[in-house]
Amino acid sequence: MRITFFIILSLFFCGAGVAQSFTFNRFTTDDGIGLSSNVVNSIYQDEKGFIWVGTANGLQRFDGRKFIQFSSFKPGSDAMPDSRLFQIIPLDSGKLFLAYNSIREFGIFNPANFSYKKILLKTSQEIPPRAEFFAWKDFSGQLYLNVIGYDILKFNKNERTFEDNHPFPLPSGWKNTLFGIYEDSIKKQVWICTDSGLCIYDRGSNQMWTKKNNPQHLPVLKNDQIQKNISEIYIDRKRRIWIFGWPEGVAGKQYKYCLDSTGSKYLTKDTSGLNTGPLGYTVYSHFYETRNANLWVYGMGALFNYNQSLQRFQFHKSGSGNDNININYEEVYQVIEDKDGGIWIATDQGLYFTSLGNNAYSVINLMFDNKKSSTYITDILEMPNGDLWFTSWGIGVRTMSKNFEKKDNFVYSPAPPANWSQVAKSNTRNTWCMCRQNATGEVWIGCNGGILLVHDPVKRTTRYLSPAEFNNSTIRYITEDKEGQMWFGTQAGRLIKYNDGRFTVMQDIGSTIYKVFIDRQGWIWLSTHEKGFYAINPVDGKMIQRYTVNNGSNSLYSNTGNDIEQLNDSIIVLGAGVLNFINKRTQAVKLVTYANGLPSNTVARLRMDESGFLWIITSNGLCRYNPNNHRITPYGRKDGIILGELAGNADLKLSNGYMMFAGSNAMIMFHPAVYSTNQSPPPVTITDFKIFNQFLPIDSLLQGGVIQLKNDQNSFSIFFASLSYLQRDRLTYYYKMEGLDKDWVQADKSSYVNYSLLPPGKYTFRIYCENIEGQRPNSITEIKILIKPFFWRTRWFISTLLFFIALIIYALHDLRVKRLMEVEKLRNRVARDLHDDMGSTLSTINILSAMAKSKMSSDAVRTSEYLTKITDNSQRMMDAMDDIVWSIKPSNDSMQKIIARMREFATNVLEPKEIELDFTAEDLVYDVKLNMEARRDFFLVFKEAVNNAAKYSKATKVEMTIAVDNKKLVLVVKDDGIGFDVAKADSGNGLGNMQKRADAMNGKVVIYSKARNGTKVTVTIPLNAPQSNSKRQANGGAV
Amino acid sequence: MNRFVSQKFRFYSFVCIALLMFVHGYNLKEGYLRPNSTVGEDLTITTFVEYFLANGALRFRIPMLFIISGYIFALRDYRPYIERVRNRFSTLVIPYFIWSAVGLAITFLLQQFPYTAQLVAEANIDQLGDNRPYAQIGWGGVLYRWVLMPVSFQLWFIMSLFIYNMLYPFFRWVVMKYTAIWFTIVFLLWYVGFQFIFIEGQGMLFFSFGIWLNKSNYPIDKRPEWYSHYLGWLFFIGISIIKTFMAFELEPNAASTFWVLITLHATTILAGIFAVWYGGDAVVRWCMSKRWFVWATAFSFVIYGMHVPVIKYVSMHMFTIWSSISYYRLLTYFAAPVVVLAICIATGTLLREYVPKVYKVMTGGRGFS
Repeated sequence: MRITFFIILSLFFCGAGVAQSFTFNRFTTDDGIGLSSNVVNSIYQDEKGFIWVGTANGLQRFDGRKFIQFSSFKPGSDAMPDSRLFQIIPLDSGKLFLAYNSIREFGIFNPANFSYKKILLKTSQEIPPRAEFFAWKDFSGQLYLNVIGYDILKFNKNERTFEDNHPFPLPSGWKNTLFGIYEDSIKKQVWICTDSGLCIYDRGSNQMWTKKNNPQHLPVLKNDQIQKNISEIYIDRKRRIWIFGWPEGVAGKQYKYCLDSTGSKYLTKDTSGLNTGPLGYTVYSHFYETRNANLWVYGMGALFNYNQSLQRFQFHKSGSGNDNININYEEVYQVIEDKDGGIWIATDQGLYFTSLGNNAYSVINLMFDNKKSSTYITDILEMPNGDLWFTSWGIGVRTMSKNFEKKDNFVYSPAPPANWSQVAKSNTRNTWCMCRQNATGEVWIGCNGGILLVHDPVKRTTRYLSPAEFNNSTIRYITEDKEGQMWFGTQAGRLIKYNDGRFTVMQDIGSTIYKVFIDRQGWIWLSTHEKGFYAINPVDGKMIQRYTVNNGSNSLYSNTGNDIEQLNDSIIVLGAGVLNFINKRTQAVKLVTYANGLPSNTVARLRMDESGFLWIITSNGLCRYNPNNHRITPYGRKDGIILGELAGNADLKLSNGYMMFAGSNAMIMFHPAVYSTNQSPPPVTITDFKIFNQFLPIDSLLQGGVIQLKNDQNSFSIFFASLSYLQRDRLTYYYKMEGLDKDWVQADKSSYVNYSLLPPGKYTFRIYCENIEGQRPNSITEIKILIKPFFWRTRWFISTLLFFIALIIYALHDLRVKRLMEVEKLRNRVARDLHDDMGSTLSTINILSAMAKSKMSSDAVRTSEYLTKITDNSQRMMDAMDDIVWSIKPSNDSMQKIIARMREFATNVLEPKEIELDFTAEDLVYDVKLNMEARRDFFLVFKEAVNNAAKYSKATKVEMTIAVDNKKLVLVVKDDGIGFDVAKADSGNGLGNMQKRADAMNGKVVIYSKARNGTKVTVTIPLNAPQSNSKRQANGGAV
Repeated sequence: MNRFVSQKFRFYSFVCIALLMFVHGYNLKEGYLRPNSTVGEDLTITTFVEYFLANGALRFRIPMLFIISGYIFALRDYRPYIERVRNRFSTLVIPYFIWSAVGLAITFLLQQFPYTAQLVAEANIDQLGDNRPYAQIGWGGVLYRWVLMPVSFQLWFIMSLFIYNMLYPFFRWVVMKYTAIWFTIVFLLWYVGFQFIFIEGQGMLFFSFGIWLNKSNYPIDKRPEWYSHYLGWLFFIGISIIKTFMAFELEPNAASTFWVLITLHATTILAGIFAVWYGGDAVVRWCMSKRWFVWATAFSFVIYGMHVPVIKYVSMHMFTIWSSISYYRLLTYFAAPVVVLAICIATGTLLREYVPKVYKVMTGGRGFS
């Protein structure tokens, strides 16, 4: 356990009044990081590492940098109160049980979607007005609610109610207390404190054991001293039973017992410190045991933890003032340990955090009260026996044991020479530096006015010297080289060597020498006041190198240097304002400044520890420089370093590895190992996501695995933190937005990164951190971000567009091809018709005319016959031509035209033969539309029928009817002629043509005829009928 | 059924089964493909091609196999029902258990050697999600996998087919009696992805459709007048491409994405069936005129029964040896099916040659002509 000692003592006059204490870091509403109330009732760390805080103003979450207020804003959920939140208990799936006792409201909050659902109290009787509530969860996760003065209610998950179904049957009249519940998961028992005694509910047997029903004969139930008013019960990991209560008849005095695991033996030593706690009214009401079995007891006016080294409870008194070191409270509500081992304390005066560390070393802060004398430490020396010697300005050399107990030394036992002036005598008390000569064991003490004391601690003798070489100038630094020669630096600027019993001035630079440092090669380095940095040859005292602010690119930051350290064989570090890293081989100078992470550009002390880390005191406190990764880590109050800023005069690396720094009123001492960690930081958590200026619920956003943003939500900030509250200020974050960044980017200290106007696309934000040791989390945190493009810029839309364009182009192409095909088909048909109908006739006419020509002179009769045939053929050809032209002509597309032509044709054919014509066309027929081919076929079928009637029937009357029947066009030509035998009729003539044309229209021709009973030709053409491949589209387009 | 239609059936049965390997060889991160699956990876040539083929253009194959099965089963429904069921038991159920055992045996064998055991573990194809070695899972688990959850997960098809064959009298009755109502119901079941053990909407719809085609004497050999080859192929490929892009770009797990993708999925299947059936006659004629092709088609059932889990393990092996090569996933996607096809045909050839009786039992009597 890292314990911080904060000691206030008077170094030279009092014994050490050592008081152990934690350094408590306080979070209050004044910090400006969002804590909504200083009354903090409850705390809980979730799986991710967030600290959930229940305050007087409701629920908040802390991510190490800021508190966020939570409220329910999911539609349909209940409104979450902003009232005092007494308890936060984790439930399954990340949900939180919340208890608002003061308004008697309980509910379940789901951080994933910000929904809050109330839990109703379903009790058979009214809960008393003075009832108090305390919820707890058993080892199986079942939730209960203690209602003081009523009963224990059990949570019904399905109904979302607390019900009084008496899960723990207490004896009649026994009343449970508020906090007196302990779930013994090992023995599967529930210990319940009541006003009438202790009850143990055994889950195995479902029995309630009490003093009256004690089948196991448990001594703890037989104990007469704990039979009444038991208020608290706890069984720790050692199976010790802690029982607190209020004895009858003793007002205001709580008893605190610790019993062995059987409950029969009092362990009085184990309660040491508890019963001698604070004065006044206190209530010890809660226990908390850390993972390292460190037991905390707390409540009203009480905060204790068990100090293993002292073997007793340590009381943490509520401090006064706001020194940011102590804890202030009237009541401590909850103590928890976080994943790093840090302790969080909820009080009525703020939230506190303190660290326990690695249980090995301590951090000591010493502050001198200066009530009786000024304390100005100028140098420190460790003696072989561990005693610490201090030189000071005004009171000379003083000594403390390694335990900070005052010890006497005998430096001044032999008084200064009597013949010395009073000034010289008083200068022996104005000591400035000290060095123990290894060969003799003598301590050389440099004083004001060039006075040098050489003290032999064994013989207890002191030689008072005032060598002329010092020229009455204050001795500022003494050191010893490997040859045992003593070196001195004076206020006036002389470098003096002592060897073989005599002092030699080796160099005089004319300005104060603050430090004389002998490096591994034996060079003498001098840090001076305004004269720069010197390297001196120890043999002849000549200057080897000098560095100043005027060395061009290898200039120092300042000519005045306070301290020197050697990093390795080449690098000398000079604390001159900033850290000046000087390569003595190349004479290159590199500066590390505030801009590089140094807390301040005023370096006072620097010292290297055993691990090679450089510890630096600046005007802003302590920090550490890691030469391996060049990272500077500051250490402050939450690390137990309280007085770092005040300890800039002297330093010492102790033989046990501790580092000590001291100043005018303060001293700090620590072991560097206390700040080393073997623990990797936890993976980085995305704590917030902000679009423009609006925070979005990150839990909800991350639920789907991908944060999906609209195309106009392309400017956002990502907040992150590794939720280690110990390491959080010492982590360096590296991030990369894949899809945008090519390399990892080191984040600044703001712990968030902004992205502006990102183009639509998929991104993966990846981030990790490194602690001061260079350790990284086990995994790299990543979030996927999708900025949706405008839909017209998506590939699916573009491909759909192209698809439809291709379809349209193809359709247009298809249409064009079809039209070309139709034109070609029409031309073919006209050509065929001309060939079929005219070609043969013209050939016939040609032959007949030739024959007529040849017979014209010899055979007039024949010639006349030929001419007659030519005339007939010409007439037929004209008719056929007329039909072709008529069928092609678009103006004849209407049914009216067809009917008119049919009527005209029938009249022309039948009238010369004096056959009566009865032509009827229904009105519906006029609505029928036939395309060109169908029209022609239909007309030709009609024409054939009429011609047959005119030529062969010898009829006196022909009836013609055109009608639409059942979506069919029906033509009937009926005569009263002689008729014919249909079966014997030659199908090769006109009748065959009729059938062929009807087929082309998917129609049919039915001829009914009987000798002397006339003939009836019925032509039926379906309208809208599908056409087979083999048939022409006779009625294509017919509707 | 004329000779050419018969040839088409054989050709497409083989092709559909061969194409299964390009579906089951899908090797992207989100390996389990559903009709509405999104890709979950960036758009690259590899991811596009694999998704386009596996969950787009080649999705017609199972429906087509169901249609062919329904048609052929209806063709011979003059035979007694009991005899037919008995026959289907030997041609479907027995091969199911045999090939399920073969898959388990191959997996178990590979689990015996460290390298191949690693391949098996990485293939992660156990239907129960427990990819431990079978020696650790125990007999109970192995038995359960053999009967109900075969590692050769493609075998659900023949078990499903057997059930439909048993229900054939019902299918025939309802298809012919309540054609419109039945097809509306099974279409909706298919559309919403209904599935209950081995009965699912897809199979019922397309098996019924095969029955209807046969019983209504629909001229499946004649292209409908309204159907255009070019337009059909353009539509089929176009919809497949659009679906693929949407699978990359639409919001995963959103309801709208689900409905859009399954609508496109259904459209792609229907368009694919038309395009492939009516648009591949020349290819069918050419292929079926080649002796080597006809010879290979005889091993359709061996390919079907054996390709999973082999293709998964082969793919994992190729991943291992090619992982340093650019486009190794795409290369594997195309190479693994070819290798597995060769393995399956070689296995079938050897079995048919040297243990014809065993081969006959394993294939239900298929593949001797």
